[in-house]
Amino acid sequence: MSHWSESTQERAREIIDLYPQKRSAVMPLLYLAMAEEGHLTETGMEEVARWCEITPAQVLSVASFYTMYKRERTGKYLISCCTSISCMLLGGDEVMHAVEDESGVPHGETDEEGLLSVEHAECIGACGGAPAVQVNYELIEGVTPDKARDLVTWLKKARPVVVNTDEMQELFGGRRSFDWAIPETDGAIGPFPAFQPLGTVESEGGE
Amino acid sequence: MTSGQPEFVTITIDGREHQVLSGEMLITAAEDSGTYIPRFCWHPRMTPVGMCRVCIVEVDTGRGPALIPACMNPVSDGMVVATQSDVTKKAQEAVLEFLLANHPLDCPVCDKGGECPLQDQALSHGPGESRFVEIKRNYEKPIPISDLVLLDRERCILCDRCTRFSREISGDPLIEFFDRGNKTQVNTFPDHPFASYFSGNTVQLCPVGALTAGPYRFRARPWDLLKVVSSSLFDTAHPRIEVHASQNEIVRYTGVDNDATNHGWLSDKARFGFEYIHSEDRLGAPLVRRKGVYEATDWAEAIDVAADRLGLIRDESGGDALAVIGGAHGTNEDAYALSKFARVALGTNNVDCRLGDSLSSHFLAGTVDRATIGQLDDADTILVWGPDLKEEHPTLYLRVRRAAQELGAELVVVHPRATGLDDVAFRKLTYRPGEGFDLVQALDDGRYPDVIEALDADNVVALIGIASHADGPHVAEAVAALVRARRGRSDLLPLNSRANTYGALDMGLAPDLLPGRVGVSQEGVGRLRDHWGEVPSVPGRDTAGILEGLISGEIRGLLLVGADPVRDFPIPALAEEALEAAEWVVAIDLFITDSTRHAEVILPAETFTEKEGTVTNVEGRVQKLNNIRPGPGQTRPDWAMLDDLAHRIGAPLGLSSAEAISKEISTVAPAYVGVSWDLLEWEARDGVVVPLEGESQLAHIPVAVATDGKRENGLSLHVARTMYDDGVRLRHSPSLSRLALGPVVLVNPLDATALDAVPGDSLRLVTVSGEGRFEMVVDEGTPAGTVYVPFNQPGATALGIDSAVEAEVADA
Repeated sequence: MSHWSESTQERAREIIDLYPQKRSAVMPLLYLAMAEEGHLTETGMEEVARWCEITPAQVLSVASFYTMYKRERTGKYLISCCTSISCMLLGGDEVMHAVEDESGVPHGETDEEGLLSVEHAECIGACGGAPAVQVNYELIEGVTPDKARDLVTWLKKARPVVVNTDEMQELFGGRRSFDWAIPETDGAIGPFPAFQPLGTVESEGGE
Repeated sequence: MTSGQPEFVTITIDGREHQVLSGEMLITAAEDSGTYIPRFCWHPRMTPVGMCRVCIVEVDTGRGPALIPACMNPVSDGMVVATQSDVTKKAQEAVLEFLLANHPLDCPVCDKGGECPLQDQALSHGPGESRFVEIKRNYEKPIPISDLVLLDRERCILCDRCTRFSREISGDPLIEFFDRGNKTQVNTFPDHPFASYFSGNTVQLCPVGALTAGPYRFRARPWDLLKVVSSSLFDTAHPRIEVHASQNEIVRYTGVDNDATNHGWLSDKARFGFEYIHSEDRLGAPLVRRKGVYEATDWAEAIDVAADRLGLIRDESGGDALAVIGGAHGTNEDAYALSKFARVALGTNNVDCRLGDSLSSHFLAGTVDRATIGQLDDADTILVWGPDLKEEHPTLYLRVRRAAQELGAELVVVHPRATGLDDVAFRKLTYRPGEGFDLVQALDDGRYPDVIEALDADNVVALIGIASHADGPHVAEAVAALVRARRGRSDLLPLNSRANTYGALDMGLAPDLLPGRVGVSQEGVGRLRDHWGEVPSVPGRDTAGILEGLISGEIRGLLLVGADPVRDFPIPALAEEALEAAEWVVAIDLFITDSTRHAEVILPAETFTEKEGTVTNVEGRVQKLNNIRPGPGQTRPDWAMLDDLAHRIGAPLGLSSAEAISKEISTVAPAYVGVSWDLLEWEARDGVVVPLEGESQLAHIPVAVATDGKRENGLSLHVARTMYDDGVRLRHSPSLSRLALGPVVLVNPLDATALDAVPGDSLRLVTVSGEGRFEMVVDEGTPAGTVYVPFNQPGATALGIDSAVEAEVADA
């Protein structure tokens, strides 16, 4: 009685098999549910509850704790501006305002077209390159308000199939925290890099 | 604990040394030593979580004093605890100040006000004033989280008691913390209400007024309540309750923590089953039918009319032409009076408190190796082969769940469909209704070696009852034989519906039983001669036999006592026909029911809150019930009516009061010797388990084994009781009656497809004894090939006990 596609169900079975208890699979399955419908719906969470043999309330309890489980419709590009202390001291709030102003989308919301979502994020671990911004969790460091406006314009016009840290850093970034980092040629796709090996997200070749 | 000997350690609390049990949590050790440490989240029956932090105290374990939560830290030797130090006080005051930062001070209109741990401990351990000037959290309130419970999230202090209860105790975690963080709230998943049979416990658990009960909201102030301890007659384990009344009206029951039975928990049926007591439909005066219409009359006339005809039938046709059905919902004293009335005044053994859906009386009353509920805690293996405990025996359900989940018992559940215990069972066997006996044989033949291995454990407790109306009592007895034949020690708990069936059987309300678990025989009757005189010594008819006798005319007169066979007998059509055919029916009841409306005289009875007496639960534990209010109008206790009826018939029973009856019981019923009201009120407030006779008085004859018609094709019908049905008391309790499922049939998705039916379709079900339309519910818990119809639902027709059933989609 699953609402999921056969391939999603197959992946769910593979994930559950990794754990001694079914309920342990709740977090990766929530990503699956999100990938299936674009965001977490009540139906999706009920589905996860069935797979994990727990109640929907227990699933929502997990899902509502983590900000990366999106329970609202989210745009093709999710722009997260860090406003925690390091970024805030170096102008993170101004970057955030610039993004909101340029995109016309306030914090926590999505434009009508479904292209852009904007949120302010708690520390994203890039204090050395503050202020930092993520697009679909791909990091850009040393962003200024002007560059942030350029970023929004670029996303609207270019509409890249895949966003990639190195490319965006080149175009809109400033000083990086780890200049010696190995260039990331492949890039992780979408919001789910950690689970790519599990097949919960499409690989780069896909749409 | 490794050895049987408890180990003690020495700790110092506020300068005084105490010997306390090693391993105990500091909060309990301190309480046992006379020092109260404040608490909100900590609860003696649940896992400590350390959520609320108010129990932090200054403790020195040799490394200098530090603040630790007393609920999360076991005592250790040499521990020095300061519960009154400046540091402890400052910490506890700070915690309370924080807890009150968001808590609205609406105590004057809060149900909990006056009995609120937050209110009380803010007074005893709080700072007195708050430095917070910020705006408090705002939520929509109250929101219903179930049909019976409302949630006010502004009052909630996030102690995890209700959520923990649903997770650990009742096993239906439908409430949880959401939005954890600064905005943490307790709530249900959208459209998945807290539909737990135990939801009311969270109201009692809640240390603030965040959870309130619909039936009690704004009905009373706690300090105005009159309270008395009693036991619930909505549960065969007779959980201990406190009955709370305001201005002579029962407004709520609360659970009383009792090691022996319920641990303080109650099913919602036992907690909220009081509205019928004040129903407008309750009878307040004796009714006599004249020209087809009931007329209220006085007792003298009602007794004369009822008794004269009963006496006439007895004189004309003898006692065998009279019969008694009922008595399982009242007290032991009333049951004894009824038993004596039947034998002495009516001169018949045609008496039965069971309604044809039950195990044999000798098996129920005469199981010498009967287990106590407490034995579940020590069992290696628990076998549940019978009704879904969650539906029919809620206290046992919680105890078995705890034993399997917390205490390591291996649980084997056998039932025709999913039950509430499946998730904690190590093995679940499902069978087609009517084929239970085949499964016993398959087990005996070694088909399920893991189950047999589990049953070979040292210490086995088997809860055995009738799982489905299609299973005869012989299945249960075969299961008992199977368990008894295994290697280790086994104890059985035979299960039966109707709360005081055991008490009634112990008082002789069965055609083959006399008071005190003595069989009907020359010898048994002889023992009673001093008190009862000459009474018939040949076993009489059971309920099915009585109904047949009424139809054939061999039985002319019937006394119905709190029984509703037209709704409650598995083949209601037979009961209806029998009552229709009866020449003279007298009823003692609270209401006019589908059965009592056949009576010529109806005598108004009292509920258990209106009379005193004792009851005997499923394990044989006798407990005392206490009255708190007078019955409405002219109602009287059963024994008084029966005494008057007997007088008029000319065979006085010599009953003078319920307490006098209890003394008579303890004289004539061997098992009840020494069980006096004094004992139960003072020394044994949790009751006593009446001893089973060493030499079994009841040579149990197993009922004949019927060969089950094994059916290769077609659907099998599973009929079983649910917690909420159309029983008389529930029907007159509006908060609970709306929770009944109604006329539904639960069908496996595969069968639904095969029937070409979609959810919401009506199915027409036809069996040999009935047919009816039922709304189809697709249910994966019901195996393919079986359809499940909950018994006695409002608006449903009964389908009898045969497992063969034809189903088709009914025309719209």
